[in-house]
Amino acid sequence: MNLEQLLSTPKLTDQVPQANLIRERAGLVTPQPIKLFYGETYDEAGHPVDSMKYYLFVSFLADALRQEGFDVDPSILIADSAACRNVGEKNEKYYMTLGEERYHFVERVNEIYGTGLRLVKMSDYINSPEFIDERNGVMEVCKADQELMSAVEKTVPESKVDIERSKEFLYSFDEITTIMDLDVKVGPPREDLYDNVARTIARQRGQKELMSLFLAPTFPVGMSWAYFFANEGIEDNGITAYKAASKRLQRNRIIVGHSNPDYVRDLMRDSFISTNPVLPNPVLDIGIICEMARKRLERDNSPITLADDFYGGGISEKQLKEKVGNDVDEYILSKF
Amino acid sequence: MEDEQRANLERVSREDHEAKSALWAAKVDYYPEKLVELGLKPIDRFVQYHPNPSRLMKMGITFGHRDLESVADAMANNKPWAVVSGLNPSGPLHFGHKQVFDELLWLQQQGADVYIPITNDESYVVDKAKSLGESRKIAYEQVIPSIIAMGFSSEKTHIFVDSDYPDIYNLAMDVSKHLSLNRVFGVFGFGQDEEGENPGTVFYRGAVQIAQILLPQLEEFGGPKPTLIPVGVDQYPYILLARDIARKKGLIPPSAIFTKFTHGLDGQGKMSSSRPASTISLTDEPKSAQRRIRGAYTGGSVLASFQKEHGGVPGVCPIYTLRTYHFEEDNRVWDQCSNGEILCGQCKGAATEDVVKYLTDHQEKLVDARKRIDEFILKTPIKSILK
Repeated sequence: MNLEQLLSTPKLTDQVPQANLIRERAGLVTPQPIKLFYGETYDEAGHPVDSMKYYLFVSFLADALRQEGFDVDPSILIADSAACRNVGEKNEKYYMTLGEERYHFVERVNEIYGTGLRLVKMSDYINSPEFIDERNGVMEVCKADQELMSAVEKTVPESKVDIERSKEFLYSFDEITTIMDLDVKVGPPREDLYDNVARTIARQRGQKELMSLFLAPTFPVGMSWAYFFANEGIEDNGITAYKAASKRLQRNRIIVGHSNPDYVRDLMRDSFISTNPVLPNPVLDIGIICEMARKRLERDNSPITLADDFYGGGISEKQLKEKVGNDVDEYILSKF
Repeated sequence: MEDEQRANLERVSREDHEAKSALWAAKVDYYPEKLVELGLKPIDRFVQYHPNPSRLMKMGITFGHRDLESVADAMANNKPWAVVSGLNPSGPLHFGHKQVFDELLWLQQQGADVYIPITNDESYVVDKAKSLGESRKIAYEQVIPSIIAMGFSSEKTHIFVDSDYPDIYNLAMDVSKHLSLNRVFGVFGFGQDEEGENPGTVFYRGAVQIAQILLPQLEEFGGPKPTLIPVGVDQYPYILLARDIARKKGLIPPSAIFTKFTHGLDGQGKMSSSRPASTISLTDEPKSAQRRIRGAYTGGSVLASFQKEHGGVPGVCPIYTLRTYHFEEDNRVWDQCSNGEILCGQCKGAATEDVVKYLTDHQEKLVDARKRIDEFILKTPIKSILK
């Protein structure tokens, strides 16, 4: 799958830079490698299959750039320190253990799918003098610029602004500092808030600005049309891909190492699906993750055509639900 | 002479077209503005997500909603829910009623239990019927058979004539405890020289009507459960009042969908039994319907050549609404009329064909429907409020 094909995969990518801009950026990076990045936190409910969309995508992106002769460093950040931030002292240790589990999960993904992702934990660097120095620098720039500071505030949900303000927005500054030095950052669309601040700071400092590459939002499975009808705005950001209990919908997620294949088939059967490409399509989303997994396992480098097949009428809604229900088991659940 | 006559006709056509266009321009934003003014939501999102939305919703004739979300959940997940839509038995059903019942039928097909209060008490107190007995007679002889003939399921349809279901008055009495006269007057706009100066009207509007809306939520009927009320946008204050009382009684605030009205054939507003020339009733002889359509007001012009060039004004045309609200699956008639592709004669011909076919079929079904009235009548006593 070449860079153009990957970036234009319908229902996988959302807002992406043009392939040539990524190439241009890769060419400018000296010394190589070009840094590709995806970072996530986690919760107590396990490893959602939706995280694999990002792991697999980053590995395909790395491959596409390598095919063109670029040296690439694809990394996945497990933001354990960030995940521990608001869980209370009692739970901190437990959440660090969960971070270890997520780390090992991605290691298993590397082993099974040959994704070659470099793993990083936030706790490995967050207290280092270099990081603290860098973060102080970032904070200084932001505090001196009211507009920038207000952009930092916007990275926090409205309900948590006061709490975060009392902590001097440390969570946000950790995130922003972490991504300052990246070339291409893959993430969900809502991370644009962080990315924009990082770009503005880089511009002010005369540094290279990171490129954002947003994948399509994640939606719960097994929910009827009424759920989507009632949740206005869900089309824009969906639910949090990497937290299985996002919006308390853990029963409507596929959790690797936990979900029973028959239960997953039931979820698929009951899932909202529409032939209107503008609307969320949780079944197709999972189908695309399965396709990526299959392609890694079978070393198939052809483009992902599932969305075109479905919207073009080549696969019916029922067929897609059956196929995805089976593929999740065959290419993902049974491998762990 | 001929030239002068033609010039006159062209002038009249132009003036008429301009007047109709101006009328439409003044009306075009009415419903969108009402949505904003009342804080209602457009129906579009529901149409996008529902796997098989109603014809009226797809065409924007049912155009808005309040809190349809709570009904949608029940609709999608096979939970119990209800629809309530009443009507005044002041005469036979006409196409204005049919539009509402078409939507009710679709809602029933989506799983709703449909409650239809026939408000002969209201007909009487607001002087639409000479006596309670007369309006009761109309209910059983003309209204209920027509409803049944439309294809409702007897298992999921519960019709009651208010005066024959006095339990509704017990519930109304219970409801009235949550209201004040000031509140009722505020919502319904009673006052001097307006209808309803008698206490019966105040009791009907303020309490019986709300009781009808809340009825399906009583434990006798498996409540509390989401309830949907299809109404015209002018009736929104009643919905607000019902929602308020539902909350006070620990019930689920009823939801509402809002529909546009079928225009009267006289071009003077909505189709209404109080203006017989505006209606086609479902029991009219097909020939009589044909005559009414032929004589109906339209959005067209005096001169066919003018209309071919400039098009008609479907927004003010009752034949357009008759066709699209009742028989068409899309809005192509609008384009055909606006572009001058179809003239009023052709359009009236198509409307006549559809209406006559419908009336013939409906009237055939009435024979059987009259024998089945008892299957549809609600008889369940209301005891829960007397505990």
